[in-house]
Amino acid sequence: MKRLTILVLAVIGLCVLGFERTRAQKAPAPPETLIRNGTVLTITHGVLANTDVLIRRGKIAAIGKNLKAAADARVIDATGKYVMPGIIDCHSHSMLDAINEGTVSVSSMARTRDVLNPNDADLYRELAGGVTTLNLLHGSANSIGGQTTTVKIKYGRPVEDFIFPGAPPGIKFALGENPKRSSSTPQAGQQRRYPATRMGVEETIRDAFVRARDYKKSWDEYRAAVAKGDKNAIPPRRDLQLEPLVEILEGKRYVHSHCYRADEILMLINIADEFGFKVRTFQHVLEGYKVAKEIAQHGAGASTFADFWGYKIEAYDAIAYNTAIMVRHGVVTSVNSDSNERARRLNIEAAKAMRYGDLTEEEALKLITMNPAWQLGVQDRVGSIEVGKDADLAIWTAHPLSVYARVETTFVDGEVFFDRQQDIARRTELEKERATLEQAEPNRPANRGPAPGAPRGRRPSDLDDDMWEGRP
Amino acid sequence: MPNRYLGFTGLTLVVVALMAIHNFAPSQAQHSATDTYAITNARIVPVTGPTIDKGTIIIRDGLIAAIGANVAAPADARVIDGAGLSVYPGLIDTNTSLGLPQPSPSPAGAGRGGGGGGFGFQAGPGPMASALNSSQPAGLQPEVRAEDYIRSGGPEIEAARNAGITTALTAPRTGIFIGQSALINLAGDNPQVMIVRSPVALHIGFTPLRAGGFPNSLMGVFAAIRQMFLDAQRYQEAQRIYARSPRGVRRPEQDKSLEALVPVLNRELPVVMYADRQREIERAISLAQEFKLRAIIAGGEDAWMVADRLRDAQIPVLLSLNFPRRTTTASSEADPEPLRILRARVEAPKCPGRLAAARVRFAFQSGGLASMDDFRGNAARAVENGLARDDAIKALTIAAAEILGAADRLGSLEMGKIANLTITRGDLLDRNARIAYVFIDGRPVNLRPATPAIPASPGPSPAPSPEASPPPMAANVARPVVTGSAGALARIAPQSQSFSEDLRSCFQVLSTYAAYAGEGARAPSKTGSC
Repeated sequence: MKRLTILVLAVIGLCVLGFERTRAQKAPAPPETLIRNGTVLTITHGVLANTDVLIRRGKIAAIGKNLKAAADARVIDATGKYVMPGIIDCHSHSMLDAINEGTVSVSSMARTRDVLNPNDADLYRELAGGVTTLNLLHGSANSIGGQTTTVKIKYGRPVEDFIFPGAPPGIKFALGENPKRSSSTPQAGQQRRYPATRMGVEETIRDAFVRARDYKKSWDEYRAAVAKGDKNAIPPRRDLQLEPLVEILEGKRYVHSHCYRADEILMLINIADEFGFKVRTFQHVLEGYKVAKEIAQHGAGASTFADFWGYKIEAYDAIAYNTAIMVRHGVVTSVNSDSNERARRLNIEAAKAMRYGDLTEEEALKLITMNPAWQLGVQDRVGSIEVGKDADLAIWTAHPLSVYARVETTFVDGEVFFDRQQDIARRTELEKERATLEQAEPNRPANRGPAPGAPRGRRPSDLDDDMWEGRP
Repeated sequence: MPNRYLGFTGLTLVVVALMAIHNFAPSQAQHSATDTYAITNARIVPVTGPTIDKGTIIIRDGLIAAIGANVAAPADARVIDGAGLSVYPGLIDTNTSLGLPQPSPSPAGAGRGGGGGGFGFQAGPGPMASALNSSQPAGLQPEVRAEDYIRSGGPEIEAARNAGITTALTAPRTGIFIGQSALINLAGDNPQVMIVRSPVALHIGFTPLRAGGFPNSLMGVFAAIRQMFLDAQRYQEAQRIYARSPRGVRRPEQDKSLEALVPVLNRELPVVMYADRQREIERAISLAQEFKLRAIIAGGEDAWMVADRLRDAQIPVLLSLNFPRRTTTASSEADPEPLRILRARVEAPKCPGRLAAARVRFAFQSGGLASMDDFRGNAARAVENGLARDDAIKALTIAAAEILGAADRLGSLEMGKIANLTITRGDLLDRNARIAYVFIDGRPVNLRPATPAIPASPGPSPAPSPEASPPPMAANVARPVVTGSAGALARIAPQSQSFSEDLRSCFQVLSTYAAYAGEGARAPSKTGSC
């Protein structure tokens, strides 16, 4: 009997092994990529000159001198060039078909995940700026905004491929002028939305967490009743607005809070302490230098602008040294774009902190790599060039902190998603395609009808080309 | 000459008899003497069976009584010589708002609030009506049913009929939970006769509400839909628990809106979701799969990009024939149009062929076409761009009926099915073909005198065909003989309120017959002014 059992197990084991082998044979390994002889900015292990980086199956397989690659490996000569991890933009509204659900002050049921647009051309421009990961945020119209999405910019792929695997979920909060609608007057006959003051913003957030706590309690009670055998227990109503807030209380969802003034920063820290959670990042946080100690003590990160301020009253007290001061106080700090335009030159934004505050090169580069990686909870996957991490990299023509640097090639998960030479080569192809398309019958100008409208301005980032063009 | 007097006398007797009947049985719709039709010598395309090159189709009592190559016309049938005609099942437009009142424009055009309001957010007319005592705002009321608002007649219904369409799915125009659609025949004096099937599906749109309340962004739209489906699931469970044993359980609140979602959750009622762009279609599919709904996509301009997913999820498409085209004139100063738009305009007519190749079920809809001539015209373009002719005809007939759950009574020429026929001179999808007759519920309908051919390109309009102009003798009678008299006769009995009205109608009928009696004994005349 025992022999029979062993025999059966052995047969099963062999079958499994054989099955695995055939499965592995069915999926051929994609070719490796070898980036040769570049200056590798590892971020965590210093600068390595004349060093190779080997990419295999989407991961960084090896870093060193004179690496050997497979025979069919694609070899890129990076002599005289710089290899840096892909930039992580911690505050982006790219690829979103909607940014603000501005009708309610607590819109935690809104999800950016529902409105992703993988065809946004700004994604391509960001790749050309060396950016590979984005934190897609709800807008700042509401005290508590919608759920965020972390994406890798795999431009050209289906939208599911963009979602950063394993990235912790997040949510947007907003404090100060925007959620209290300082800049808008209510329409005739309509009441101003609550809250209209900073104290109202605080109350809105506190009230939401109290309701979330009660919600959690009602579900715990229901589950206890069912466990006891109550067949007539009617479940509480599932509330999509309160569920993300319960996740915050349980430490399962990151809070990214838009804020400017020192008092509102401290206010949110107090609320977080009161309800027992941690704010993950303060966004913009232009007065962060005033309360850098408190932010560091709380354990939050800060994601700010290098030198963009003065556009509203709460942004008046900003200084260029904000970033450096927070870094020096131990706050994990990043610089972000909050703009499709600025997202293309985040390397320069990081460099500004060297000029204002004397950050070292490595500290400056961390502002757009390891620090935002930690802020998004993906520091084990991206943010530096280390063996085993995702191959999200860019090859630059000069040191990335130089104004003269341009991106040659951008990799996401080891695949090329931007290459300058390919882009240039494709331009003639696209011109030909355009010429052919314009001759096609449905594209020919009409005999009668309105003339094409003059453009009203630059297309806002949240509108697709045809949505913008189609407007009167 | 004796003929004319004979006819005249006979008709007087008929009229007098009818007037007598009117006093005793006012409420029944009269069976007119012209209930049976025979179209002979015609090419008949049943769609679900082989084409009959020369055959006869008999209509009786609103149903198809017989079809075949060797079927004899019954003695009491009104015979239409079908030489040169092709008989198809009545065309079905699978997504319209025909028969529903135009909404009034909303007072304030709400601006795009808070920096980037929403995708596709337009100021415009508000919802058709708000349901009574609903717990939800207008636009989020799935209990709204098109059948409650349908009105017969009107220029849009006429335009659709002139294009050969006999049946349409009609749903309200705006909202997120737009409402429950009804399948209607485009003839009849009141909604009760028009409705073939209702409700057919719950229509869901992904455009934010215009009223200024939640939601005003696409994110909010998805949150609102999701929340209401969850609430409906809970509603169903709560009602079940309460029904099982009410004692000791707090009574769950009644809610018509959630009640209306229960059949949708139970997959008894499908959902029609409006989506054109690839990402819109993908989002709709994901939402349907999240709640395990029976989904149908309406619009589907980019459906070919998602064909595999549609086929695997068994989601049919109500494909819009409103192919995009450039509507602006040339201008040397204008910016070049984006490549994406240029590509979309060229790819759109290829979509139906691609869906057919990928084995995705689809049917055609007008998609808000400005000119209904483009309904068959763009179907013809689809055939020119890779769709098989048979598949195009199916997409206008039986495929539409199948998707809308009415294939047992519509969509093909089979014995016993509703006698909706579209009869063309020439093949249905030929550019020179004209609609000769349209039968709905077994009765021919008025078509506009000049039913133009499918426009190929702007140019001089073609010379009118014999069908196009009414015979000169009937110049002061707008309506051709058959329907006019049948209608007039039907109208005398149930609807007239006074003897003098009857008299007036009688004289009208008599003068009509007098005019035609002068031409010859047989009606309809060979010039076929029907």
